[in-house]
Amino acid sequence: MSEGSPSKATPSPGSTPELREHVYDGIQEYDQKLPNWWLWTFYLAIIGFFVWWLMYYSAGWFEKDGIGVDAKIAEINEKKAKELEAMMATLDDAVLWKMSRNPLITAKGQATFEVTCVACHGKDLSATMGGAKLTGLPLNDTEWKYGANPMDIFKIVSKGSPDVTKGMIAWEPSLGPAKVAEVVAYVLSYHQPPEGVEVK
Amino acid sequence: MTTDRAPTSTLSITYDDKTPRLFLIATVVWGIVAMAVGALIASQLNYWRLNFNMEWLSFGRLRPLHTNAAIFAFVGNMMFAGIYYSTQRLCRVRTASDLLSKIHFWGWQAIIVAAAVTLPLGYTRGKEYAELIWPINLAVAAIWVVFAINFFWTLKKRNEPSLYVALWFYIATIITVAMLYIVNHLQIPTGLLHSYPVFGGVQDALVQWWYGHNAVAFFLTTPILGIMYYFLPKAVDRPVYSYRLSIVHFWSLVFIYIWAGPHHLLNTDLPKWLQMVGMWFSLMLWAPSWGGMLNGLLTLRGAWDKLRTDPVVKFFVVGVTFYGMSTFEGPLLSIRAVNSLSHYTDWTIGHVHSGTLGWNGFMAAGMIYWLAPRLWGTELWSKKLADFHFWIGLVGILLYVSSMWVSGIMQGLLLNATNADGTLLEYGEYVETIQYIQYPMLARLIGGVFYLLGFSLLAVNFFQTIRKGKPVDSTVEVAALNPVEADADQMKWREVIFSDPIFLFMLGIVLLLGVFFLPPFANTLALILFIPVTIKGVVTFQRSNKTWAAWYERLCANWMPFSVLALISVAIGGAVQIIPTITVNRAANIEGRLQELYTPLELAGRDIYVSEGCYNCHSQMIRTLVPEVMRYGDYSRIGESIYDHPFQWGSKRTGPDLAREGGKRSDAWHYNHLMDPRMVTGSIMPSYAWLAEKDTDIKALPAKIGVQRMLGVPYPAMTNHEIEQNAIEQATKITQNLRQPPATIYADPNKQIVAVIAYLQKLGSYKVLDPVKHEPALLGLPDQTRPKAEPETEASTAAPEAEPSTTTN
Repeated sequence: MSEGSPSKATPSPGSTPELREHVYDGIQEYDQKLPNWWLWTFYLAIIGFFVWWLMYYSAGWFEKDGIGVDAKIAEINEKKAKELEAMMATLDDAVLWKMSRNPLITAKGQATFEVTCVACHGKDLSATMGGAKLTGLPLNDTEWKYGANPMDIFKIVSKGSPDVTKGMIAWEPSLGPAKVAEVVAYVLSYHQPPEGVEVK
Repeated sequence: MTTDRAPTSTLSITYDDKTPRLFLIATVVWGIVAMAVGALIASQLNYWRLNFNMEWLSFGRLRPLHTNAAIFAFVGNMMFAGIYYSTQRLCRVRTASDLLSKIHFWGWQAIIVAAAVTLPLGYTRGKEYAELIWPINLAVAAIWVVFAINFFWTLKKRNEPSLYVALWFYIATIITVAMLYIVNHLQIPTGLLHSYPVFGGVQDALVQWWYGHNAVAFFLTTPILGIMYYFLPKAVDRPVYSYRLSIVHFWSLVFIYIWAGPHHLLNTDLPKWLQMVGMWFSLMLWAPSWGGMLNGLLTLRGAWDKLRTDPVVKFFVVGVTFYGMSTFEGPLLSIRAVNSLSHYTDWTIGHVHSGTLGWNGFMAAGMIYWLAPRLWGTELWSKKLADFHFWIGLVGILLYVSSMWVSGIMQGLLLNATNADGTLLEYGEYVETIQYIQYPMLARLIGGVFYLLGFSLLAVNFFQTIRKGKPVDSTVEVAALNPVEADADQMKWREVIFSDPIFLFMLGIVLLLGVFFLPPFANTLALILFIPVTIKGVVTFQRSNKTWAAWYERLCANWMPFSVLALISVAIGGAVQIIPTITVNRAANIEGRLQELYTPLELAGRDIYVSEGCYNCHSQMIRTLVPEVMRYGDYSRIGESIYDHPFQWGSKRTGPDLAREGGKRSDAWHYNHLMDPRMVTGSIMPSYAWLAEKDTDIKALPAKIGVQRMLGVPYPAMTNHEIEQNAIEQATKITQNLRQPPATIYADPNKQIVAVIAYLQKLGSYKVLDPVKHEPALLGLPDQTRPKAEPETEASTAAPEAEPSTTTN
């Protein structure tokens, strides 16, 4: 087509649309009616906005965001406190030692350890990576800054160090007591139980 | 030429086709650059080593380069090529000023080069798609004004009385981009290369996403729709489907688009009424957007056979189809429930790419294949190659978009997954979810590379076509326009404003605002009045259909009133959202929590954080959602980021949120992590080892704090010496901390890494204030929808149990 010539307008089958007279640089326009389904999606969205607005602000039918979240979180915290209590009732040094000799448990502990703990304590618990010192304390030696008993270790992992900017964060809130116990069992598997502790 | 009037005198017009030729070349060149940078940063997410341990090539600095290049360099130049080519022809006149065209072209390229240099160097404002530093902002504004003058001057000189729909879209583009750009770039310089935006916290977030969303609307959508309205009917040689659909979808699109910005901030601490407006206007936007798609696709009726043979038509059809797809996906993602899953994930990334690659990129390709032979007076070098480009590009974009759906939805679900009794997150560490999206991200990279390959073939085809032909400027004989005789540009303002459609529309808007903003009872009254006005509007429209149609046709022959009405329609939405939010008393609108001020060292650290582009991967916004609170802590409140210039809420999480990072880990952890993020198993973060080599610019702090004070951040009066001393003391304290066993790190207090640690450890610090005295209320707006930080006191529960809108200051 040569530029500037009007385009050939053949009405599409089944309709006789009006072709507007005006030609713009060779471009013409039909004046088809707007599709009804199109108009209705538009109207419905506009009506929806008004209805929603009135339901929210005038009728007050919806719960406010923060209130719902706060309630749910409080419920979760309560559940967690109960779980912790139940867990603590069953846990003591001997139980943790026993867990440390169970390969099923220590494998689970290792999986968690390799995600959450290696950054500071190293994959081999030596608190080094490729010879460089990491942030945490080594866990494969016999020196325990916060106590050597399994329950002491459980406590430091759960609650974190007294000053977080210089030490470990509390893991119990994000891991839960069961996973903490597994991790402690995994760490203990690198150590020997003292005399008199029956592990088998 | 008009067919319905005898020409009074004929003119011979030679179009300026040199300008579109230059812009077209720039489009192809910058398109390749933008897509290549995109492919590089996509591969960095799979292979962290590709950050090359070099600051200039790290993801955080290159991602802004990619987005700015794709939007402003690639689509920008394409838009200018199309506008300069079609406007002259639709106006039957040569562009008003060759000099202005020249300044526009070379000025724009200089801006792009300046951006490509400054962004990798870390000079940034830290706001998405608005990263360029203030001297470049001034240049952009100046060049945009040059463009606007040139364009409107051309309209004034036109020989065609009536404005075609493509020109309506160009007008809306030029006006709206100017408005958005200016407001979002209000800032106070602290030096030649750095500034702070005047808005902070929630205000900055709102203004930014009003801008960011409408950059998509008025830079990537409206000009391309104009280009579609010109080039598509040309390519298929068929009349446009419906003139009245053009009218309805144009005006509804420009009016509604501007309101939808807050859908980028859903479930955040943005006041609820704004979130609701953002969501519902996005849903309303679906139909106007599809109006454009329908008008494009249905124009092909009777010419669908061309789809088999003509690569230009193929690109246009798929481009318009992608437009329809992404404007359906957009409203979907704006539903708060969907957004709670999709936001911050790759789903959004897929969505924007179906827009830029599918819609803009394919429209650009169609336009280039159509224009190149005409501008260089020859045939396209290879139609086969263009066909191949089409198919490889299509496969690429489909692979890209679908892998981002998989990645986004999967990661969203993994992050929300809990154990059976809902007390613990299944994937407590953010990094655990990364391994699952490695393959989708790799598929995305492959899709992107396919697309880039296709576009490179276009470049080959394009330059071979140029070599084959030689530049031609077309000349046409046109009838000179006698404005009085043709009744063009003769409309009186009175006729414009007091005509039925406009007057009723304005009255309706005013009453509607009354429904939103007035206190109870008054707002009911406004609603009661709004209904008859609407009915009157509908009835008058039905009865005086012909008069309204005639009025609109006159409006189309009057460029000035048309442009003013376009300006008014785009200004309303922004004004309604932004003015209440920035005029409200900041101190009274904090939801009971007030952010602790940054110390000088922390401020320096924050500026480094911004300059490294950390916000490209880390948000600082815990949304009001249960899994977010379980993962990151209590949801964020307005007051907690109120002094943040610029805000750093972020829009994508490639790493975890940092809103409450402060005090979570030891200084030594942060030091080691910044030096070598691989200490976290599976981390894909680049190393920031250079922070330990570069000095913190402590000397710049007094000027920065001075500007912060001007912006209303309540820093106490400090001498320059005190500021520097304070920074040095804090840095020394941190290095002492680092020296302690077991980490025993020896760090130099002057280095940037120390400042960054100081900043990270401050994140999430706030004071609790009396919630009764500091109750959020925006001019009596109904946004008191979230509980206060403190348990409710006697005083507040005793308040009358009315609608939330009763709470005022």
